[in-house]
Amino acid sequence: MKIPAFLALLATALLPASLVARDAPKSALQNYVPWQDDTVHAFENLLVQQDGRVKPVYTVARFTLLQFLGKSNVSFQTQDGENHRLHYAAWFLDVLFRGEIAKDLPVFVVDDSEVVVQIGVSPKSKRDRYSYNELLPGRAKLAELGAQYGEKQRQYEQSEKDPQYELDRVEGMILTLGRNISSFEYLVGQFGFARQDGFLVNANILPPELLELSKRLVTLEMLDKMPEMTLDQLVQTIRQQPGGTEEERMFSGALRLFFFHANSARGLNFFPPQDADNEVWGSAGDLLLAALESKEQRPWAKEQLAGIQDLVDAQKEGEPAFLAALQAYSQKQHETAEARGEGHRSKLEIQLYRGKWFSNSLVCFVLAFVVMAFSWLTPGSRTGRRLLLVAGILAFVGLALNVYGITLRSIIRERPPITNLYDTVLFITGTAVLLGLFIEYCTRLGVGTLVAVFSGLLGMFLAMKYEAKEATDTITQLVAVLDTNFWLATHVTIINIGYAAGLVAAIIALVYLTSRFAALFHGRENAEFHRALTRMNYGVICFCLFFSLVGTVLGGIWANYSWGRFWGWDPKENGALMICLWTLVILHGRMAGWIRDIGVHMNSLVLAIIVTFSWWGVNNLGVGLHSYGFTEGVWGALYSSWAVLGLFMAMGAAVWRRERKTRAERKAPPAAGRPATA
Amino acid sequence: MAKAPKQTKDWSPKSWPLRAYRLFTSFKLATVVLVLMTVVTLLGTLGQVEHGLHAAKEKYFHSFYFVETIKGIPLLLPGGLLLMLLLFVNMTLGAIVKVKKRWKGAGLLISHFGMLMLLAGGFVTWAFSTDGYMALYPGMTSNRVESYREWQLEIAPLSKEGVGEKAWIYPSERLDTMRSDEQRVIHAESLPFDVVINGYSRNATPVPTSAPIAAGVTGKEIDGFKLSPQKASKEAEQNLPGCFLEIRPKDGSPPIEAILWAGSYKFDPREKPMPFTFTVGDQLYGALLMKKSWTVPFEVRLDEFLFERHPGVSTARNYESRVTRLEASQPDKALEIKMNEPMRYAGYTFFQESFGPSGSQPGDEMFSQFAVANNPADQWPLWSLVVTGVGLGVHFLVMLVNFTVRSRQRTAPPSAKP
Repeated sequence: MKIPAFLALLATALLPASLVARDAPKSALQNYVPWQDDTVHAFENLLVQQDGRVKPVYTVARFTLLQFLGKSNVSFQTQDGENHRLHYAAWFLDVLFRGEIAKDLPVFVVDDSEVVVQIGVSPKSKRDRYSYNELLPGRAKLAELGAQYGEKQRQYEQSEKDPQYELDRVEGMILTLGRNISSFEYLVGQFGFARQDGFLVNANILPPELLELSKRLVTLEMLDKMPEMTLDQLVQTIRQQPGGTEEERMFSGALRLFFFHANSARGLNFFPPQDADNEVWGSAGDLLLAALESKEQRPWAKEQLAGIQDLVDAQKEGEPAFLAALQAYSQKQHETAEARGEGHRSKLEIQLYRGKWFSNSLVCFVLAFVVMAFSWLTPGSRTGRRLLLVAGILAFVGLALNVYGITLRSIIRERPPITNLYDTVLFITGTAVLLGLFIEYCTRLGVGTLVAVFSGLLGMFLAMKYEAKEATDTITQLVAVLDTNFWLATHVTIINIGYAAGLVAAIIALVYLTSRFAALFHGRENAEFHRALTRMNYGVICFCLFFSLVGTVLGGIWANYSWGRFWGWDPKENGALMICLWTLVILHGRMAGWIRDIGVHMNSLVLAIIVTFSWWGVNNLGVGLHSYGFTEGVWGALYSSWAVLGLFMAMGAAVWRRERKTRAERKAPPAAGRPATA
Repeated sequence: MAKAPKQTKDWSPKSWPLRAYRLFTSFKLATVVLVLMTVVTLLGTLGQVEHGLHAAKEKYFHSFYFVETIKGIPLLLPGGLLLMLLLFVNMTLGAIVKVKKRWKGAGLLISHFGMLMLLAGGFVTWAFSTDGYMALYPGMTSNRVESYREWQLEIAPLSKEGVGEKAWIYPSERLDTMRSDEQRVIHAESLPFDVVINGYSRNATPVPTSAPIAAGVTGKEIDGFKLSPQKASKEAEQNLPGCFLEIRPKDGSPPIEAILWAGSYKFDPREKPMPFTFTVGDQLYGALLMKKSWTVPFEVRLDEFLFERHPGVSTARNYESRVTRLEASQPDKALEIKMNEPMRYAGYTFFQESFGPSGSQPGDEMFSQFAVANNPADQWPLWSLVVTGVGLGVHFLVMLVNFTVRSRQRTAPPSAKP
């Protein structure tokens, strides 16, 4: 079978395989009544202040579920045999308003059953999803191990990464699971202060008399009767033994219950502050404590919290009432926020995630790849050319979606396209696709389309995996030194264009080496095509040098403005320098006569190794001013990609040896008695 | 056809200058140097994980050669300084002097000239720049800049009120060359005693002899303390050196011993250093390990320090200092120094570097720390960027146009596909 034909079949075989879904895990729920779309839409518009910015609850829901489950949808099967698939916004609505259901949804992914075994829970399969209630029997053990491993991790950081304190894989997973469970409990407990229905998360830590009391006491009404006290005074009071009278016991119980509700309601900051100069929004817990501390604060705090009380009450009345209450609350919250100049881009942010621009872009590149693979079945034919054109158009659509998504992100945060590592993935992918399409426009050899499709496919897949792996909001607030749109728009953008060009050079080299290696077996060398590839690669390397060099020097000038030195031999600076140096090695080596066509391509693969090291590797060294934090699994992925590139280099070495041998044979005088061949 | 006689190579000493010229102008030398620079840069980057930035910089980049042991095999490799020197010579001779001056190569000529400027700027910075810091609380005025890493020994006669007068200094350049097992006897003419330093450690901590950890510490015990050498921190700024000090009065009085430790120095602008005090004759003296410092020709007063966090989180959004520059012959000048907006004056540049004390909460009084640099080549990178950028831009534009035109002309037939 011809190699292109084999690749085409492989590509088409892989696509459906990737779409096969796993069986949904079973839930203890008898049945599940989904929320109406209108209700979910009204809910997702609510505003929350988190990580230093005001954002829609839609974003919080997305990254919370990614953090717990690694996915943005929850799939499960209820006892009545029905399969369900919940969007993250609907799931978050359950968490906040139907906690008793949320506790039975399998949203905690456990990658190794050893984790649940260690906390005393019966494991399902090796890697599986568990609900909160399924993990509840191991809650105490999980808290104990979590505290232990948290301390170990702290010692690891303090000891400048002494290996004796490094967490192993299972310990790391236990720590993560413990934190996820704790986050879930805070979310479910957010509106516990507004409930008297007996449902409380962590109710097991309350004594029976307090549980009973919680059904009778209305927290907001309690506020009117309580004396002013600070949090410290509250804690001291509830630690004291209550007096003997019924009234004293009741009072003590009420305080303990109040503390329980205030503590459970931390984390989600729904409430813009009263003071226009104050930028910090509060959670229900913050408002309860502020009202306890000062009677002056109570009317305002009660008014704010009554809004949540209305929502909780309306939800019990039925979905139409709940929808109306949500809409009213959302409208009021938006008016307050907008008067403060906040939250005005929340709808755009919802559009960013709902539009799925990046995953749709990935779909385009997958389709383009399949179409392109089919074009290889009929190389050179009219059909083949048309299929290639379709692949190019699909790649262009993928690029347009990528650019649109990046533009939305830039508008939302009012910043240039790149402010963090995730942005670099999107931007470098877009740039590489654009370069590929430009090369195709200039050369019409099909290689540019291949570059565009391959880099788009790989890049958007990487973006998707990175977002799921990190599971934190990717629209981040900047530290003070990065608070400059000028340098972000110049140095950061330009250096990333250089990275993209370095990777494009490597893809062209892969095409060249594959083609030359294949020719070793079928013997049909297409010299003109190979020369064209070398010219193409040489041009891309020059392009890479220009942007890497200018970007690096611009970075130095920025460093000189920020830190007082042009060059500090920081790992990220060194990475950029190595890219410049290696492109110069290729250009000068070629002029020295040491590097010929095949050398240009093999060195392009070395360039790709340097680019990936500079882009991802140096961040994980844990040193330097540009260290963006450790990303688990990066070294494994880097080593794998370098091994693949090494394989291609070995192929190139085989071609080079053959080429050398052939050249030597041509130069050698004809053997005696045999005529010389032309 | 007659075979051409084989040319023999001329190895006579007369040919050496020409050979050297050919070598230093060659692309081959450029390629070798660039490959080695890449290798050294990689080693220097990875070396930072183990040694920290400062030590790695000194070993790999600020050196003419270094020895790297890979899998037990020692390798002698050229250091960054030697490689950059070679590159400078190669570029000057090969890309500026030897190269044919044609319009077609104008872009490359310009860009190489720009890179030479950059390398020259790097050398001037390495050889002549100084850097340190100045930390001030609002209301404080100073013209003194302190080094980040260099420590020196100061001994000063003290007045009855404990105020130091003109100090005798054993400089950091000499202190840094001391080994931990070395003893140095210093005969200071201006002092009525000799100074003996031994057991100098770049990072140390004193431990009370009563502490269990002291059992494992060798060395002298003085006043119930021993000096415990510590592994050097990767962050060289974190190291706190220590040593044993012996004062040997020249009048034959008994010697005085002490442990000096850098932890006695001030780390908050408001703290006062705590020197070891002793009396020789009737004069009180103070001895202290303190950071090397120097003055700038003007004073800076911090009027206000503004610090903002992103709402609800600990990440700093902005910090800036409102200062007044005070100079005898000039009117006072009010200025703002903030991230990415330094103050440049009289050859010195003040950058908003950091703040403290660590762990400060909103509402706490905080000090502002400025990085103070004096670099004669401060702006050279900017100029070289402009020159190099223009050069490369011209060159690659010409190449791109040629490539595009040729590619369109040579658009391959369908059979040329992979």
